[in-house]
Amino acid sequence: MVELIVLGCIGVIIAWGIVTFNRLVSLRNEVQNSWKQIDVQLKRRHDLIPNLVSVIKGTMEFEQDTLEKVINARAKAVSACCSLQEKVTAENMLTQALGKLFAVMENYPQLRSNDNIMQLQEELTSTENRIGFARQLYNDLVAQYRIKQEVFPNNIFVAFFGGFKKEVYFEAEEEAKKAPPADISIRRNGSH
Amino acid sequence: MPLTFIDVEQQKSWKIGLFFIILLLMYFTSTMVIMLVAFGDIFAKDFLRGVFASFYIFIIAAVFAFVHFYLLSYGAAQTIKKNLGAADPDPEDELHKRLMNIMAEIQVATGKKRKMACAVISSQAMNALAVDDFKGDALIVITEGLISRLSRDQTEAVVAHEAYHILSGDCRESTLAVSLFGFSMPFIEKIMIYGGRAYIFSFILFKLGYLLNLFISREREYRADAGAVRMTRNPLALAETLHLLSKNWRGTGLIGSELEGVCIVNPRLDQLDESEGFFADLFSSHPPIRKRTEMLLAMAHASITELDVKRRQSEREHMPKETEKKYYALDAHYVWQGPFSIPELAALPWFSTLTWVGDGSETITKASQIPACSEIFKAQIEQAERKTTDYLCPVCQQHLLKQHYEQTRIYQCKYCGGTLVDGDKLPRIIIRRENAWPEKIRLQARATLKENQQNYIIHSAKAGKNKIIFLRCPKCKAIMWRTFYSYAYLIEIDRCICGAMWFDKDELSMLQCMIENKMAGEKLGAN
Repeated sequence: MVELIVLGCIGVIIAWGIVTFNRLVSLRNEVQNSWKQIDVQLKRRHDLIPNLVSVIKGTMEFEQDTLEKVINARAKAVSACCSLQEKVTAENMLTQALGKLFAVMENYPQLRSNDNIMQLQEELTSTENRIGFARQLYNDLVAQYRIKQEVFPNNIFVAFFGGFKKEVYFEAEEEAKKAPPADISIRRNGSH
Repeated sequence: MPLTFIDVEQQKSWKIGLFFIILLLMYFTSTMVIMLVAFGDIFAKDFLRGVFASFYIFIIAAVFAFVHFYLLSYGAAQTIKKNLGAADPDPEDELHKRLMNIMAEIQVATGKKRKMACAVISSQAMNALAVDDFKGDALIVITEGLISRLSRDQTEAVVAHEAYHILSGDCRESTLAVSLFGFSMPFIEKIMIYGGRAYIFSFILFKLGYLLNLFISREREYRADAGAVRMTRNPLALAETLHLLSKNWRGTGLIGSELEGVCIVNPRLDQLDESEGFFADLFSSHPPIRKRTEMLLAMAHASITELDVKRRQSEREHMPKETEKKYYALDAHYVWQGPFSIPELAALPWFSTLTWVGDGSETITKASQIPACSEIFKAQIEQAERKTTDYLCPVCQQHLLKQHYEQTRIYQCKYCGGTLVDGDKLPRIIIRRENAWPEKIRLQARATLKENQQNYIIHSAKAGKNKIIFLRCPKCKAIMWRTFYSYAYLIEIDRCICGAMWFDKDELSMLQCMIENKMAGEKLGAN
């Protein structure tokens, strides 16, 4: 009888171990995949910016400074490759520069009569949102993954097995930290 | 401490799952009861045979329900799309393009778990619904009125709400429930009439199942609201949308009663929905909008008065901005026209570099001297080649230019000012209210309406005697048919069989002005 109980317990533990392990593995892959999704959207933004810049360059002669900032930030973001932190900082810089550019563009009503610019602006707004959403999904998954790793008794299991490293969050840009929005909603950029 | 979207989603998921199982159990119990009563004699004689007999019938019933379910939901997305008259979004149209982008954004937010398509119904109503069928087609249908009146964030909230219905399986579950209960209900009613009291128990169970279904449907709305917030992290936008929807026409009669459950708000403005209390809670398919809004506002830490203030503010912003610099321009007949904003100037067919322009002060200059105006000309040269189309103006035989109008595309003649509108774009143009009409158009519209009204009576008196020069459609070269837009809005237009419509100069603006200001013709009998 005792043997049966012991065997049963071992069976349950093994089953639990398999389930936990599989869950952790699938979460790890989901996290990696969602990181790739962010990359796809960032690339899309990098490709759109030169088009926008070339179209508005002539009209916004007085705002060369703002344009320059966008161009530089893009160049930095494209070349950033090595560490995650570097990449995140560069992309956040670009987000800010673009935000400023959009704000300045409001002062040029003649831009509104240009279909090209309107289309590009819509595409960029959408891309900003997609980046925001992809980042949100990534952060949500990282949170899930971390919780799964750190709760008891999973933490013992993880320490025993190894191979599940803690993923880093994609932090919000400095600007957003300084002025928290009144509502709890995490505002995305460029939405209007 | 207000509930967060995660709490709401979890709580509701539990509730929905539990009650859905109870619902299924109720269905099976009531069918079993029918079996027991129907085959009572057999059971009494030989219990085992009774069990077998009822088992067979049970299987047959299940197969029937399944076939019904399958027929109902296989390819349902396309059928519903066709029945509602919804069309795929048009990538050339700005608002439709925005909708397509929003769809893509929501897909990113959900990790691209399901492929979803969207379709637009060209109706003024404001509503949205989601369909999910077994062919794998998931479809979000949105009305034109909704996408043209909501902001980007608000449309996103609506799409997220509908996407949640699809992802969580709400659409499929509700179809299943409808098949199970809807298919058997008529039989049970018949059996009850002929079979007597013994069947009353299962009848009551079925009726209870119907109520339970409504209850689950209400819980699903709350859950989809919470799920939408999880995707967009913007509870305020959804609250604003619901608040707006509650004040607008939701499309009664547009959507069949079976589909009411899947709409974001009930298309019928039902007293039951908005009232609270035992009966309202029991019989309504959608929870009161007030309650839903309250839940969302609690998430955003905002109040309903703030919403109203914001709504009024945005309405004011939608009005043409007075602060924007306005210009007056001298037309070919040496009459000052205006005031125009820069984009409006750009749209004038007679506006050129040599046009005299004033900005309301004493100084008058040629248009080319004003930097903002010279930008227009620069853009026009750049775009002229791209804009010229192969279509010829039916009046002056010159090439029509592709123009940007009310966030969609129309073809306009630079010389006579006539406009060619595709059949599917006219409803969009009428629904959208980007332009504010100058007094001139208003007066002209009123005068045309009156004149046409009188002429219409004379015309019908001596029908066929008037000679009309028929125009040929620039698109398919068929002869166009001259008619009024409708008997309420008496604007003469030329319609082609291919759906294209030709408006003479200013007629399109007059038509829009009439519809927006509800300038319908007076009673014809009065004249």
